[in-house]
Amino acid sequence: MLPSSRAPIVNQLVVYKVGSADEVYGKTGIAHFLEHMMFKGTGTVGPTEFSRTVSKNGGRDNAYTSFDTTGYYQTVAPDRLEMVMRMEADRMANLRLTEKELIPERQVVLEERRMRIDNSPAALLGEAVQEQLYGRHKPYGMPISGYIDDVKKLNIHDLAAFYAKWYMPNNAILIVAGDTTADQVRKLAEKHYGPIAARKVDPRRRPGEGASDLPQRVTRADARVAEPRWSRYYLAPSYHKGESQYAYALQVLARLLGGGETSRLWKALVVERKVALSAWASYSPSSLGLTSFDLGVHPASGTPMVEVESAVGGLLGKLLDDGVTAEEVERAQNQLLAAAIYSQDSLQSGPRIYGGALGVGGTVADIDAWPQRIGAVTPAAVVAAARHVWRADGLVTSVLTPQEGMR
Amino acid sequence: MRQLLRFLAALVVAVSGLPAAAGAVDIKTISTPLGIKAWLVQDKSAPAVSLSFSFAGGTASDPEGQLGVTTLMAALLSDGAGTLTSQAFRQRQEDAAASVGFSASLDRLGGSLRVLSANREEGFELLRLALTQPRFDSDMIDQRRAQTIAAINQASQRPASVAARTLMETEFAGHPYANDPDGTPDDLRKLTQQTLKQRAAALLIRNGLVIAAVGDIEEADLARLLDRTFGTLPTGTPPALPPEWNPPTKARTVVVERPVPQSTALLALPGVARDDPDWYAALIMNHVLGGGGQQSRLFTEVREKRGLAYGASSSLRVYKRAALLVMSTASANERVAEALRVVKAELARLRVDGPTEQEIADAKTYLAGALALSLDSSGAIAGLLHSMQVDGLAPDHLTKRAALIAAVKIDDVRRLARRLLRDEALTTVVVGKPVGIASDPL
Repeated sequence: MLPSSRAPIVNQLVVYKVGSADEVYGKTGIAHFLEHMMFKGTGTVGPTEFSRTVSKNGGRDNAYTSFDTTGYYQTVAPDRLEMVMRMEADRMANLRLTEKELIPERQVVLEERRMRIDNSPAALLGEAVQEQLYGRHKPYGMPISGYIDDVKKLNIHDLAAFYAKWYMPNNAILIVAGDTTADQVRKLAEKHYGPIAARKVDPRRRPGEGASDLPQRVTRADARVAEPRWSRYYLAPSYHKGESQYAYALQVLARLLGGGETSRLWKALVVERKVALSAWASYSPSSLGLTSFDLGVHPASGTPMVEVESAVGGLLGKLLDDGVTAEEVERAQNQLLAAAIYSQDSLQSGPRIYGGALGVGGTVADIDAWPQRIGAVTPAAVVAAARHVWRADGLVTSVLTPQEGMR
Repeated sequence: MRQLLRFLAALVVAVSGLPAAAGAVDIKTISTPLGIKAWLVQDKSAPAVSLSFSFAGGTASDPEGQLGVTTLMAALLSDGAGTLTSQAFRQRQEDAAASVGFSASLDRLGGSLRVLSANREEGFELLRLALTQPRFDSDMIDQRRAQTIAAINQASQRPASVAARTLMETEFAGHPYANDPDGTPDDLRKLTQQTLKQRAAALLIRNGLVIAAVGDIEEADLARLLDRTFGTLPTGTPPALPPEWNPPTKARTVVVERPVPQSTALLALPGVARDDPDWYAALIMNHVLGGGGQQSRLFTEVREKRGLAYGASSSLRVYKRAALLVMSTASANERVAEALRVVKAELARLRVDGPTEQEIADAKTYLAGALALSLDSSGAIAGLLHSMQVDGLAPDHLTKRAALIAAVKIDDVRRLARRLLRDEALTTVVVGKPVGIASDPL
């Protein structure tokens, strides 16, 4: 429960500890398809009635599927919290899956995939990178929305089995933010979610290593690309898999290396050498399995990819050889903490942060300790983390270019 | 620096456990000794101050041969000021956990400041420098120009961007609103430091300036900081408004071929001006047709019943000299003609039969509550206060809004639907390789 009374609204988020990475090859896309079908009614709520009721009551709702978690959320006035809790609890236990609703929704799911992935060369390349980095048909190596051939074959029984296996109160986290009290939330949650029986839930498994044949290079030359991109993805530990002691230093590293226009990559490539139009680095430690430390460059017109790649290689090598200064570490820490403060200003982001962390096994104590742990990162720890992650046999390089003769 | 780090770390924890403080939106109007006017919502639950402001005149008044000058100038305002180079200016913002930014729309030059209340003096000082002493260093001009041209190139390949651009070009042919706010590569290459400085001098004036502030700040402190920041800007005459817009008089379909599996479609009709007496009827009609989310007719008919698209929606767009009602969807090339047929059938059904009493009632409840839902951050509240002023509304509008929505009658919506939803005014843009749809000849 995250109290805030700045506006007369509350936000309910239910996160299930299941995602696309809990699927098997041949049945991919279930987690996401089921997320869509969760809006198609129960014994007592008709198809499409869930969202209609929320809207009719002046609220909004939606849902998302990721590799590790699936979330359902509504924003409503405080006096409608019980209504959305009753409906969310209802579809946790009583979902009605019918052929009549499944058939058109399959087309919706495929259109969503066309929009997000197939219409975008960068997204198609991103899927290829995931496959190369984590391994073909491995949990993170398969697309979240599933392979098209799998999605076309999924039936009611597949979805029902997945629902029965993962959707239960003891595999869910309830987060309520906004203008209400912990007592009220507890009372309502016990009333609506309390009666649903807990069941045995299978442990989730993620591999402790990435693909076996790294390094890899993935190139996509596409007539639909106007501007080239160079990217690099290093396998990296998360909070919960691999050498997780590096997870905090890696956040500081990503920030000072490629977080914004004062970062090392931007200053060197965009400002000083003028070989790039932008450059970035990112790292997200909240995952059940391994994650990746990513860098990317948008080369300036006329800069060959090999020059970009060697320039980045030089900068990474320099960081490992010469280290980082206490001052730049501190600036990166300040930026991370400032971003966290500003994100707390929005009612949406609190539940998202807690849901993302708790859904993969983090604790409230971990979230509370985050500022101190980020603040405790030293320059030596940053370099040690970089050395651990930037390994020649643990990476995928990707290149996106316009098709020959198209530019 | 270490001190800032400790302070920030303490704040991250403090804010998450903060007790209830602010309640409903209470707008104060400020008039400073130097005559700067602003609206303020004090909110002590946030350890920050958010400012949203804008100047009259936007990209639609870019001079001939200088298309893109306003957007490029806006980007460069926060790229170095006074004695600070771009890098130094950014560093100062980071050290204060502050951010200063500018952007241009068709009608206005907008800006924002976000700063921790503890660092507000520094935040406003950086904003003052950006507004009064922007540098326009030549290396930054080159960098931003190259980035803008690359962004234009990239947008020319993204189906949704191509559709949006083509819709504006078609609907506003011959009017300045047809121009890309980012400009054209040819004009961008010709822009000089001098033309950028002239543009800044023409737009950064007190006449037409609108300011909204939200956060942990006292009225007197805000007044003092506003005078220091905006008080020395010159007075002058904002750029002339673009000419009146004459909406297209016949229906037209434009297909832009792109090698993608899914076609993106946008449909537009002349819409409703913000000061039109039927504005609230239009909000309700749009909600019934395709606004708000998963309850609308377009969503139900295109997605729920037929699985033709992931999204199908409509929205009202308002500009100073024009207004549009825009419908949007995207469907596999083979099925997009069917999706468009369904969208057009829904426009006709709403025009002929009107909405039901139940739909009107549901739309009213949603619209009454929806505004509160969007006010979930300081920036969002500042944005609302800013747009209310641009729209010429009074501070007490928020207390009257529910009554204005409640007063709309079903006949108002029926009449409006008959006025707006006319086949002969419909512009259709499809980007992809749509099967069975072709461009109309000009």
